[in-house]
Amino acid sequence: MAKWYEMPGEPASNVIYSRIRLARNWRDYPFPEKMTAEQCKELVDRLGAGLRGIGALDGTKYRFAWLDGMAELEKTALIERRAINRSFSKKKEAAGLILSEDERVSIALNGDDHIRIQIMEKGLNPLSCYERADALDDYISDRFAYSFDEKYGYLTAFPTNVGTGLRASVIVHLPFLSRRKNFPSLVADMGRFGTLIRGVYGEGGENFGSLYQVSNQKTLGQTEQEIIEIVKKTAVELDNQERRLQKEAQEARPLAHADEVYKSYGILKYARRLTRKDAMEFLSHVMTGVVNGILKTDGACSIYGLMVGIQPANLLSMAEKPLNKEELDAARADFLRARLPKIRQ
Amino acid sequence: MLCEHCKTREATVKYVEVINGVKTEHNLCSHCARSVDIGQYSALFEGEFPLGRLLAGLLGMQNAESGTARYDSVACPNCHTTYKEFVQNSRFGCPDCYSVFDPLIGENIKKLQGSERHVGKRPKNLQGQADEVGKGHGTAGFGSEAENEAEGFQKLDAKERVLILQARLKEALRREDYEQAAALRDEMRGLKEEIKQDGEMV
Ligand SMILES: [Zn+2]
Ligand SMILES: [Zn+2]
Repeated sequence: MAKWYEMPGEPASNVIYSRIRLARNWRDYPFPEKMTAEQCKELVDRLGAGLRGIGALDGTKYRFAWLDGMAELEKTALIERRAINRSFSKKKEAAGLILSEDERVSIALNGDDHIRIQIMEKGLNPLSCYERADALDDYISDRFAYSFDEKYGYLTAFPTNVGTGLRASVIVHLPFLSRRKNFPSLVADMGRFGTLIRGVYGEGGENFGSLYQVSNQKTLGQTEQEIIEIVKKTAVELDNQERRLQKEAQEARPLAHADEVYKSYGILKYARRLTRKDAMEFLSHVMTGVVNGILKTDGACSIYGLMVGIQPANLLSMAEKPLNKEELDAARADFLRARLPKIRQ
Repeated sequence: MLCEHCKTREATVKYVEVINGVKTEHNLCSHCARSVDIGQYSALFEGEFPLGRLLAGLLGMQNAESGTARYDSVACPNCHTTYKEFVQNSRFGCPDCYSVFDPLIGENIKKLQGSERHVGKRPKNLQGQADEVGKGHGTAGFGSEAENEAEGFQKLDAKERVLILQARLKEALRREDYEQAAALRDEMRGLKEEIKQDGEMV
């Protein structure tokens, strides 16, 4: 079954996907940090058992997995696919994961909070993600009474999540905007509206592939719909600015612009070795080309799906044997050669 | 002012960082800020959210300035989290911590969140705890059992809705959004009418 990130996105948009996360806690237990090992196991067991029928809610197939039953490689691959976060993967005590077959829905049990519901969907759809999370949330709260306070709303381990427990995010591709000198001040300006923007794939201050995530900073004192609206507005604004810059570049230097896109496509199509950084950057150029119509692919495709696929743990899980650095770069090139969409000349 | 990092370009970006109670102001050019800013966001994200560190920072700063260190040993009777522990990792140990530490940190939560009252969704089964389903079955047969959806959307009572509207009204006035404030006021008036008619209010 195709995963959500492999589905084609909205054409002609720099918005890649939307993500909603709800943090909840069961009032029968202290927060995870203060639970005994016994309690952790019991909590996950009881939650897992009580939510066995959750698939009936929307006809989706789910699997349940204990975190300690997962290999390190599988956990890292799940992080790369954004199904879990690093802090959850490092959990020493008992923890569980309920994951839908398409990985659109994940429910992390006993991470930083007892329950974290996450929904991801292609395109600018934070509200429909929220509606799905909302329904799952109701299903869970019918079975497990949440910690809820008249003043503070849903009580969470971190007071920075308290209230709605909602983190709404939209991930945008900003290759031109992020290259501008004024990008940091733009990011800071957006912060004043209550959003936070950060790079998605990267290490040590680098962000390969120019993907940025816009999220709400505040969780208390605004309704879920208001929070989602703010994030959505910021994402639309960034998309518009990015579009304008792409158009300007295309008009001012059409040859240079097209050359960058086609060269990148050519390298991805024929290279025999690709580092993660290079592959991400070339995919980013190809993504731009597809969005602004320079590259016409045969049928719909998901460049973002390729960006996920070439992350190291995903490549390693596909390989039948352990790979060294050079073999990994070769596997990455193979992966892309086989999957890069055909283009119409 | 020149950028403190490269010392060649004009500083155009200013940001304040609070770590462990120490507040530092940085003046950077947009070029240098780019590497600093974005990198910082990525690094912080792993540990949940920058606001978390900021909260710990603010509290630590107050501790140093106003001698609130005497609160260090205040502890939650339920989970034994101390104020000191909270200042260190911005994390509560149990739901009770919120009421225990509210007098000490309520103002800071308000500062960071821009509000002190929840106005969004509420759990459906707020009153009675639902029976736990599937107890004793374990997680083995996961996903195999279809269940009927328990329907029963519990409407908030009018008094609770008035409370929520009040908070939103306050927030609207603070934002100087008078149009929304007027709409909220009307809605509240209507609700109060309803309450009167229902004879719920004294
Ligand atoms: Zn500089
Ligand atoms: Zn406590």
